[in-house]
Amino acid sequence: MTIATKISSSSAAGMIKAIESGSKHLVIKRFTLRYPEQKLKFIGDGYQFDPKRGVGIAGSRGRHILFHDKCTGCQLCAIACEGIAEAIGMVKVDEQWKHNKKSIMPQIDFGKCVFCGLCVDACPFYALYMTNDYELSSFTKEHLIYTPAQLAIKPKYDGNVELKIDNMGATHG
Amino acid sequence: MEKNLEHQIDESEKLGMQIVKESEDDRLMTLSVGPQHPGSGHFRFTIKVDGDYVVHCDPDPGYVHRGEEKMCEYRNFIQNIPHLERPVIHDSANITYSYSLAVEELVGIQVPRRGQFIRAIASELDRQIYTLYWLAIYGIFLGHSTMFMWPTGDRELFIDLMDALSGARVTHAFNIPGGVRNDIPDGFKDKCLRHISYFEKRLKEYEDIFYTNPLFIQRTEGVGILTKEDAIGLGVTGSVLRASGVPYDIRKAEPYDVYNEIDFKVQYMKSGDSLARAYVPLLDMKESCHIMRQLLDKMPESGEVRAKLQPTPKGPPGEAYRRVESGRGALGYYIVSDGSPKPYRVKISVGSFRNMIALPHLLVGSKLADMPSVYWSLNYWPVEADR
Amino acid sequence: MASIIWLILWILIIVSLVGLPLIFIILFYLPLPPVNGEVLTPYLFLSMMVDPTRTLPILHFIIHTDLFKVAVFPGFSFAALLAAVTIFVERKFLAKMQLRIGPLYCGKIEGILQLLADGLKLIAKEIIIPSGADKPIFWAAPIAFVATAAAVVALIPVAPGWVAADVNVGIIAVFAILGFFPLIALLFSWASNSKYPFIGGLRALHQMIAFEIPFFLSALSVVILSGSLNLTDIAKAQHPYWYIFFLPISAFVFFISSLAELERIPFDLPEAESEIVAGWLTETSGMIFGLIQLGSYVKVYALSALFVVLFLGGWAGPQIFPKELAHGPTAGLMGLLTLQGVYNGVTVNAIFWFTVKTLGIIMLMLLPRGISPRIRIDILLHTGWYKLIVLTFINMFIALALIYGGILGPGGLLTAH
Repeated sequence: MTIATKISSSSAAGMIKAIESGSKHLVIKRFTLRYPEQKLKFIGDGYQFDPKRGVGIAGSRGRHILFHDKCTGCQLCAIACEGIAEAIGMVKVDEQWKHNKKSIMPQIDFGKCVFCGLCVDACPFYALYMTNDYELSSFTKEHLIYTPAQLAIKPKYDGNVELKIDNMGATHG
Repeated sequence: MEKNLEHQIDESEKLGMQIVKESEDDRLMTLSVGPQHPGSGHFRFTIKVDGDYVVHCDPDPGYVHRGEEKMCEYRNFIQNIPHLERPVIHDSANITYSYSLAVEELVGIQVPRRGQFIRAIASELDRQIYTLYWLAIYGIFLGHSTMFMWPTGDRELFIDLMDALSGARVTHAFNIPGGVRNDIPDGFKDKCLRHISYFEKRLKEYEDIFYTNPLFIQRTEGVGILTKEDAIGLGVTGSVLRASGVPYDIRKAEPYDVYNEIDFKVQYMKSGDSLARAYVPLLDMKESCHIMRQLLDKMPESGEVRAKLQPTPKGPPGEAYRRVESGRGALGYYIVSDGSPKPYRVKISVGSFRNMIALPHLLVGSKLADMPSVYWSLNYWPVEADR
Repeated sequence: MASIIWLILWILIIVSLVGLPLIFIILFYLPLPPVNGEVLTPYLFLSMMVDPTRTLPILHFIIHTDLFKVAVFPGFSFAALLAAVTIFVERKFLAKMQLRIGPLYCGKIEGILQLLADGLKLIAKEIIIPSGADKPIFWAAPIAFVATAAAVVALIPVAPGWVAADVNVGIIAVFAILGFFPLIALLFSWASNSKYPFIGGLRALHQMIAFEIPFFLSALSVVILSGSLNLTDIAKAQHPYWYIFFLPISAFVFFISSLAELERIPFDLPEAESEIVAGWLTETSGMIFGLIQLGSYVKVYALSALFVVLFLGGWAGPQIFPKELAHGPTAGLMGLLTLQGVYNGVTVNAIFWFTVKTLGIIMLMLLPRGISPRIRIDILLHTGWYKLIVLTFINMFIALALIYGGILGPGGLLTAH
C-alpha cells in the first residue's frame, strides 16, 4: 500500500515542461495509419477451431470461409447462432456431395453477424473457419447475404503495414 | 406571454402530461446537460444554476437501457457472452471475466492454469484500453485537445495486442466459461513486452503535459472533494474510492484466479479531490504494466487453455456471486440457476451505477465550470450504467 | 431561331439601358486621374494596352489610391489571406504536435485546398434562426464582427507610408475599436434567445473587459518610450533597438491579454465546448459561422501585427532586397521588366520583414492551443484584474526610469538621430 507522491511544481516550471513536451512531439513521426492506401497486416489466416482438442487457434475474425468438401449440413452452426444473432440460415445447394446427404449448407447474413466466432467453435467437421477479410461493405442489404458458393471463395487480402516502434516514436509503416 | 403559458399548461394537463413550470424565482436557470451535449456522453442530468453555482442536480439514466439482464434468461450460458460484452465494448474482457467466474462456480468447472494466466493478461490489457480512453475524454472535457489525441493513439498499442490475441479489436468475446477461446499466437510475448516498455515512456509525457500543467492543477485541485467517510458511506468503488484514501482493490482483497501469486501494490491518494481522481488511474496504469510483466513471466510454458465442456453446460440449481475489478470499479454478477442450460436470473452490479450517486453529492455547491471535471472524474461509463 | 432573336433583343436592351449610360458617366462625370502629367482618357488607355510598357504608370497610380490600400494591400484582402493561411497552418501544426495528419485529401499536396472546401460547404448550408430570436441583431452581429476586425486592420502600418488610415492617435483608435467586441458578443448571445449562448455571452463580456485594462497599460509603456501615439512613428522610433529588449514584461502581458481578447485556448471559455455547448456561438450555422471564424482569424492577424509594430520594431530588418532593379531610369522593355516606378526596394524589404515577424508571432499564438487546457472563469478574472495590472505598473516604472535616466527618449544615449 503506497501513498503516491503529491504533484508539486511551481507554475513556471510546469509550463516550461509542458511547452518542452509539446515541442518535442513536432519532430516525432506521425502515428496515423492512412487506411485505404495502407492496410494492416495480420499474422496467420484467420480464426480456426480444432474440435478434437476443443480449443481455437488464434487469428483475426473476419468473414467466414466454408469448405464444401467437409460440410455435412449438420446445422450445428445455425443452432449456435440462433441465440446470438440469427445470422446463419441453411439453404439447399445444387452440388452433390457424398457426405452431405441433404445438400444443405449455411448461408450467412453479414448484416446481422456480430463476428463472435461461436459458429466456428460449434462446427465438428473442420468446415467453417474465419478469414482476414473485413471489407464487406455493399450498397444493398441483400448483397450482404453470402451464399455458400460465395463463402467458399478464399479472400485476397494484402495488408503489409504494422506498428513499428523505434527511438523516433511509434508509426505505422 | 403569461396567459399563453397558462393556457399551454391547462391544455397539456387535460391531455395528461405535465409541463415543468420554471420556478417563480428568476435567479435559478435550469440547464439540461442531456444526451445531445458534447459534455455528457449518453447520459442526461439536469442542473439548476444560480449565477455560476450549481444548486441542484438530478441525474436521469436510462437513455441506453437495452435489457441486458432480461436477455440473459433466453440464451444459454455460452450464448450469453457476445451480448454481455456490449455494455463496455473495449473493456469486454473484464465484464465477461466476472460472468465466467460465476458460471464456473455454478456449473463446477476448473479452469486450467495457463488459461487463468491468459485471462488475467487479457483483463489487464483491457483495463489499459479503457483507462486510456477515459483519460482522453477527460482531456477534451477540460479543453485540452492534445490530451485527447495522445491517449487515443497510444491505445492502438494495446488494441493491436488484443487483436492479435483474440481476433477482434473491440468486443473480443475472448473469455468464456471454462477458460479462454484460443491460445496466444507466436511472437505475442515479445510484442507485448515491446509495447509495454514504449508505453511506460509515454506515461512520462502525459505527466509532463497534463498532470504537472499548472492550468490543469488549478482547475482540479480542491474541486469536488469526497471525504473518506462520505466515500465509504455512499458506496462508491474503484478508482474514486482509492482517490479518497481507502486502499481497496478487489484483486488484493478477494483475489481471484492467479492474482494471489502476483506481487503489486494498491495505488491510492488521500486528498479526494478531482486531481486525485484523475491521478489514480495513471498510477493504476503504471501498476498494470508491472502486473503484465509478471504474468508473462510466470505463465506456464504449455498447457490447456480451455476446459472441455458440453456445448450447452448446465449445473445443479443454485446461485453464485463473483466480483472482479474492472476499469470502473467492482463489477459483480449474481446468477441464479434452476438446473437448465439457461440462467434463471442474472443481476449485474456495475461500478458506474454506484459512482453516479456521488454526482449530486459533489456537484451541488460547486461552480458550473467544474461540472465536466467532476462528472467525468467519477469514472462513469453511461452505457454500462444503463446496461 | 426564335431564341436567337430573343437573345439579340435582350443584349440590345441591356446595352442601351445600362451600358451606354455607364460609359457616358465615366466619360463625362467622373474626374479621370492624371497619369504622368496627362489625363487618362480612353484613347490614352487603349494606346497603353497596345504598348505594355506604358501600363506601369497606371499600376503605380492604382497602387497608391485609397481604395487599393483599404481593400487589397495593407487592408482586407491581405488580412484575409493571412487569416486563411493561419487557419490551415494551425490545423497542420496542431496535427503534427498531436502525432496525426491534419487535412489530407483536399488538394494534391497534404490537403492545401481544405479551406476552399470548408468555405464552399459553409456557404451551402442552411442558416437556422431559433424561434424568438431577435432577427435584426442576429443578422447584423456577425457582419459587425468582421467589420470591426477589418477596422482594426486598417490602422496598422505595414511599411513606411503604407497604412490604410494614418490617424495621429493610432493607438487610442485601436483600443477604442477593440472595445466594440464584448458588445457584439453580448448582443449576439442575447439575440440567440437560448440559455447556453446567454452564459457564453456573459463569460465573453467578463473576459474581454477584464483583459482590456492590462492590454492598454502595457501599450502605454511603449507610448511613454516613443513619445508619440502614431503607430508609424512608434515603429520608426525603434530604430537601433527594439522595445522588446527594454520592456519584456510588457510584451509578455500584451501577449497574454491578446490571447484573452481573441478567445483562444487557454482562454476560450466563451466557447467552452464541454460545458456550455458552444457558448455564444451555439446558434450560428452556415455562413454566419463562417463570417465569425473569418473575423476571429482576421483579429488574430490584427493583434499580432500590433504586437510586431509596438514591440518588435515593425518593419525593421536588414535590407536583403536590392534597392533598385536597374541603375538609372530605363524605358521600353527593360523598363517593364525592372518594374520601373513601381518597385521600391525599401518597401518590399519592409513588407517582407513585417510579414515574417507577424507570422512568427502568430505561430507563437498557436502553440498554447496544443499544450494547455481551458482556464476557469474565476482564475481568469483574478489573473486579469490583479496579477497582470501589477506587472504592467512595474513595467511603466521601468519605462519612466529609462527616460529619466537619459537612456531613451529625446537626447538619450540609445536614440537614433
